[in-house]
Amino acid sequence: MTPSDPIIRLENVYTAYEGADRPTLTDISLSIGKGEFVVIGGPNGAGKTTLLETINGMLPITHGKATVCGQDVRGDGVQVRCRVGYLLQNFAFDPLTPFTVEEVVLMGRYGTIGLFRKPGKQDYDAVRIALQRLGIEDLAIRPIGQLSGGQQQKVLMAQNLARNPEVLLLDEPFSNLDMFAREEINRLLARLVRSGITVLIVSHAFDDLPDGPVRVVVMQEGTIVVSRECSPKEVEQVVRSAGKVASHA
Amino acid sequence: MLEFIIQNNIVCHAVEAMLFASVACAVLSVIITQVQISSIGFTMAHAAFAGAAVGMFLSINPTVCSIVAGVSVAFLIGPLSDKARLSPDTSLGLLFGICMAVAIFFIAYMQTLGQGFSAMGLLFGDVISLYREEVYLLAAICIVAIAFIVVLYKEITAIIFDRRIAESVGIRVKPVYYAMLFVIALTVALCLPIIGGLLLYVWLVAPAAIALQFCNRLSAMFVVAPTVAAVISISGALVGLEYSLPVAPLTAVLFSVVFIAAVLLSPRRRVTFRKI
Repeated sequence: MTPSDPIIRLENVYTAYEGADRPTLTDISLSIGKGEFVVIGGPNGAGKTTLLETINGMLPITHGKATVCGQDVRGDGVQVRCRVGYLLQNFAFDPLTPFTVEEVVLMGRYGTIGLFRKPGKQDYDAVRIALQRLGIEDLAIRPIGQLSGGQQQKVLMAQNLARNPEVLLLDEPFSNLDMFAREEINRLLARLVRSGITVLIVSHAFDDLPDGPVRVVVMQEGTIVVSRECSPKEVEQVVRSAGKVASHA
Repeated sequence: MLEFIIQNNIVCHAVEAMLFASVACAVLSVIITQVQISSIGFTMAHAAFAGAAVGMFLSINPTVCSIVAGVSVAFLIGPLSDKARLSPDTSLGLLFGICMAVAIFFIAYMQTLGQGFSAMGLLFGDVISLYREEVYLLAAICIVAIAFIVVLYKEITAIIFDRRIAESVGIRVKPVYYAMLFVIALTVALCLPIIGGLLLYVWLVAPAAIALQFCNRLSAMFVVAPTVAAVISISGALVGLEYSLPVAPLTAVLFSVVFIAAVLLSPRRRVTFRKI
């Protein structure tokens, strides 16, 4: 992969869930460069989460080609996931969940550590740095189930940052966060993008997006209807107008 | 192995068997309860029970038959759910019913043939008539279960935390998950003659449920659950043999009593109540 190559490239990709009669994603072509900030919008059920899980190889590609960080997603899904962070949506942990914050964040590195190996000093250092980046280092020894929803969300974010991802996929990252935490996460995302990490974010909240150019991808019924660059303030307008055009078509 | 403490051979073998069976089941109980596959464990226990009953009837080694039946059920659940478009829960319910029916049919039939006594051991366990080789086999499965957890600790804990998160961080979830089911099936099959098909489930759930009342960390649960299970099981064996009481049922009752006490005394629950 040369520096000018896109970090994510999807060519005519179709994805179907196991046992489904028809594909969930249809003919998706997308090319995203290193350090881009991409907002994925669209109505519920449009295929936004499916797109993220196709990119990190968690869902089977039935047709087409997908490469992420220069690796074929179909053949090297596990390797891709070691280099791509993915924050899943809507997590809430039971108060009796027997894991501390530090243990949960360390899990983010398990794929890169490899089978039969124990975490080493560099893994614990990465955990400490990730906790500091999110400002939650004082929660390290607390059980995750006893934290608030927003704190749990930050822990999962730290888990993804701990493996120093080249691409970060975030599914509704603001869903449990208050206004202050949202601003904090947005500042962090801006720093990550500046440092060259590609960020793809599925969200329904388009205010307070980090400054700088944003690529908006709007999805409708399993396909991409709009993919264009704009300013953070234009994102909501682009998503709304794309939705209207699609519903009238 | 424990002859230097317990002189009576029968009691010694019984205590050893209960110790190894309880430790093996207890470490796996942490996985079973935390991955929330207790219904799979439950069905596997009954499949192993049915396999042993069929083996006894056909004069084939019941242990081998119960291993085959337990493993088969573990690997049948997924394909059956997909092919019949049933939820895993419904598939497990069906398989459980079928296993139970097969086991009871053959036990009842053997009773009519005058072979009922040996088959009854499969239902409620038998720690009296154990050979040294059987105890060694239990010691081996105990080591296998512990080694499995030690070697794949990272992967197992991530799957316990959340299977989808484990997959997203780059863990090969499916092979580890099926390895888990295989070790559980093997343990269930080997512990079946000691504990009995109807009671085995207590050993596969209660130790972790007790440990969870006191442990904030999974690593602590993997120590507390087998320790508690070993103490309860050895006590059950010693008391049962001393007063001529059925050992496995008595131990199962002890587990229940300790679980209730643990819930009442749990510092973790008290914190939760206070918060509410």
